[in-house]
Amino acid sequence: MSWPGFSALINAWWFLLLVPLIIFYFLKLRRPRFDIPSLALWRQVVSDQRVNSPFQKFKRNLLLLLQILLLCSLIFGAMQPYLSTGSEQAQYLPVLIDNSASMAALDVPNGKSRLDEAKEKVTKLIDDLLADQRLCLISVNSTARKLTDFTDNKRLLKEALARLDISQVPSRLEDGLRMAQAMSRVQAIDTVVLISDGNVPANIEFELPYKLNFQKLETGGANVGIVDFNARRSRNGWDVFARIEGTKQPDGSKSGPPTAKTLCEYELLQNGQSIKQDTVAIDGGKAERLVFKVSTSIATSLELRVKPDGFDSLATDNVAYLDLPAPRPLTVFCPRSMETYRNALENIPDINLYPGTDNEPKAVDLKFAEGPLSTGPEARVRFNVGFIPDDLSNLAELVSGQTEVVDWRRTSPLLQHVQLLDVQIADDPQLAKGISERDFELAGYEILATSRSGPLILERDLEGRLDYNFLFSTDRSSLVYRVGFPILIQNATQIAAQRANLLDAKGHATGTLPPQRIEPETEVHIAGPNGYTETVRSDKNGFLSGMGAPYVGTYDITGAAEPLKVGVSLLSSSETGLKAVEKLMFPEVSVEAATSVLKTDQPLWLWFAAAGLVFLLLEWWYFQKRPSGVPG
Amino acid sequence: MESTKQFTSLLDNSTLGRVERMRLLPMRRMTNRSRGEHLAGKGGTSTEFNDYRDYSAGDDMRYVDWNIFSRLNRPYVKQYRHEEEMHVVILIDASASMRFGEKFEKAKQLAACFAIMGLMNLEKVSVFACQHAGQTPQILPPCTGRMSMKRIFSFLENLPPGGDFPIDQAVEAVLKQHRGRGVCVVLSDFLTFGAMERPMNQLFSAGLEVFGVQLLCALELNPELTGDLRFVDSETGMTLDVSSVGDLIGFYHDHLAGLQDHLAALCRQRSGRFICLDSGLPLETMLFDVLKRKGWVQ
Repeated sequence: MSWPGFSALINAWWFLLLVPLIIFYFLKLRRPRFDIPSLALWRQVVSDQRVNSPFQKFKRNLLLLLQILLLCSLIFGAMQPYLSTGSEQAQYLPVLIDNSASMAALDVPNGKSRLDEAKEKVTKLIDDLLADQRLCLISVNSTARKLTDFTDNKRLLKEALARLDISQVPSRLEDGLRMAQAMSRVQAIDTVVLISDGNVPANIEFELPYKLNFQKLETGGANVGIVDFNARRSRNGWDVFARIEGTKQPDGSKSGPPTAKTLCEYELLQNGQSIKQDTVAIDGGKAERLVFKVSTSIATSLELRVKPDGFDSLATDNVAYLDLPAPRPLTVFCPRSMETYRNALENIPDINLYPGTDNEPKAVDLKFAEGPLSTGPEARVRFNVGFIPDDLSNLAELVSGQTEVVDWRRTSPLLQHVQLLDVQIADDPQLAKGISERDFELAGYEILATSRSGPLILERDLEGRLDYNFLFSTDRSSLVYRVGFPILIQNATQIAAQRANLLDAKGHATGTLPPQRIEPETEVHIAGPNGYTETVRSDKNGFLSGMGAPYVGTYDITGAAEPLKVGVSLLSSSETGLKAVEKLMFPEVSVEAATSVLKTDQPLWLWFAAAGLVFLLLEWWYFQKRPSGVPG
Repeated sequence: MESTKQFTSLLDNSTLGRVERMRLLPMRRMTNRSRGEHLAGKGGTSTEFNDYRDYSAGDDMRYVDWNIFSRLNRPYVKQYRHEEEMHVVILIDASASMRFGEKFEKAKQLAACFAIMGLMNLEKVSVFACQHAGQTPQILPPCTGRMSMKRIFSFLENLPPGGDFPIDQAVEAVLKQHRGRGVCVVLSDFLTFGAMERPMNQLFSAGLEVFGVQLLCALELNPELTGDLRFVDSETGMTLDVSSVGDLIGFYHDHLAGLQDHLAALCRQRSGRFICLDSGLPLETMLFDVLKRKGWVQ
């Protein structure tokens, strides 16, 4: 048995109030007056030594006894007693609350969500908060957000907790753990509590500087949801693919055997009109692939709805959106001086090559350039050949000389099936003095091919624009004579077509909206589901990015010349699968889910306050009641 | 049926009739020199023979029994009982403490009864009522004979209670007014802060046999009180804070019994009597049962 401790022992000084209490009690004792014939006998009785002994006098004063008990109860309550449970007492305790999509899963039909259970646990933590303890609530989903600072204000904590809602995005713990780490630089943090359903990535790239108490909640019930929704251009339109996955229930689950089949009705809508409706059976723990053919010559939006025939613990993954662009040829700008490139491009079908017979558009899908970047139309994918861009002028320099490719990234989409071995290059791009490849990475470039003296091909994906920089002139190399050259150009067009969504389309997942290109310096208003609103301003290039999309549904972007509508869906196999990890793997340590409930010191002040109230009521009753035996 | 008119409001007629036939039984013969109904201890001149004694020079020759002298040739003097008058003094404590219960009513009734007994025995009866300390007691001057009954009843009926005269001081005040030997019936609750030894001695010295009658009400005999109380003295207005009175009842009874024993001892040591009566008892029970059995009256 552990003895109770006191958080505010200094309040024990209030016990000194007992002295004036007792003194004033005897000085100001209010007694009913009672006429008697004579005090002669009673005076003798009172002056009897036995009666006047201090102990007996004290014992007979029940009212005083109640007052002393009341005062003691209040003082003990003010001293903040607590019953130690043996756990180390943390003064500053960050609590990470997982509010990702899977936390919305219900345990039983019309039951509690995982987030509700998490809130109950946190509420208990708040209720058991001792006087010298501070809590900080942090919500964790794909990112982290601090709900409160370190505070012992229970009202603030509970209000913040009540405001916490599900963010329909996949889980990611790193941000929350880093936020707690940042706090530990200001406050001494020994332990961090994580309350989650365990549906998080098991491997976390984070060095734990503190103890992590992983409070794992029970996993939700059976679930079926859409985990993938994409399309590929076909000859007559689009081939649309959807993947519906069912959860594998643990043994002994109420929902039936682990691989129990769930019958699902699905419906595909094109611009709001139903075009396909059918039923599919999903095995527990397995996925079914649905294929649809959509013929359209204009931009269209698809919506796939799934309605499981039975209990479905997570509703947010039952709908998915897909925007299909209108089919059109790829627009490519290639200066006439780059004849080798134009020759290669002319042999590729479905390409409008500029400059040509038609008027040059303001923006193209792919642009080849061998001079300054400012010339020619704007493009999402740029292919710069034979010069060093201005932002790399401090990192590399182009000198005359002979060089060859020593290594290249074969997995890069641009260099797939392109053999660069033994390609002779008459230019020799070299690293500037004191510059390493790391400096290119810091500048945002990725090196795709390198020679002995420096990088040859660089890639940069920045602000929705993809740049490929060939630091050497291909015309002064043997590359243009190799069979890989047309493949390289073909890859470039494929990349540009993919960027322009001309080849395939993929459903957008929650988190952030896909970048959009509108008028430069234009403020747009975003209105999404659940009353979500946001105002974003496009940059000087008209690039609109960083738009939040925490909920599944369609988002209206207004304010630009043409209003946009973008649908986002959960599309997360991990969230839909409700797979829970029992152990979080960190680089050097692993943290297992706590099997016992979170131990906290049990505050006892409430009991003393209740006792004080009881003593107060008793005293009031005793004070008000007519003394028995006294005639009315 | 026509109801019989009551002679006094203090006693009903039947009780009055029975009381008229009763007599006080003092333990000693404390009489006045004036002739009366009570036989004095010493020789007297009544017709009732008492004893013989040797003749001594100077004796009245008329009392020599000549028949004895002729047979024994020695002079003997015949002695007769001496009947003297006995003064019955009735002292009523009329202070405020007697208002509780039926103490004062019973005191007046008993006083009337004792007075009737005295009057019917041809004694002098005087009544004193003590109310306010420092003041002269109310006095009914000595009176005798049946004719005085009306005066006594009137005096007693019009006697109001109230005041703060302690019984010990009241006795002294009465003795300043009274002359004569006999019996002094003290009707009081005897609840005084003063000592009773001195007044008892003074009564004894004045030739008065003390008939102490302590009248107590139920509140004094068996107080049923609990809690924390502030007692207020009915005479002095003084207060006394007492906590958990219920727990002190036992001690109270001890002290009450001690007081009664003390008063009884004081009376007994001075050839007197003492009795404690519950004022709630019927008068008939007091007179015809308790007092008779105790030998106070016959």
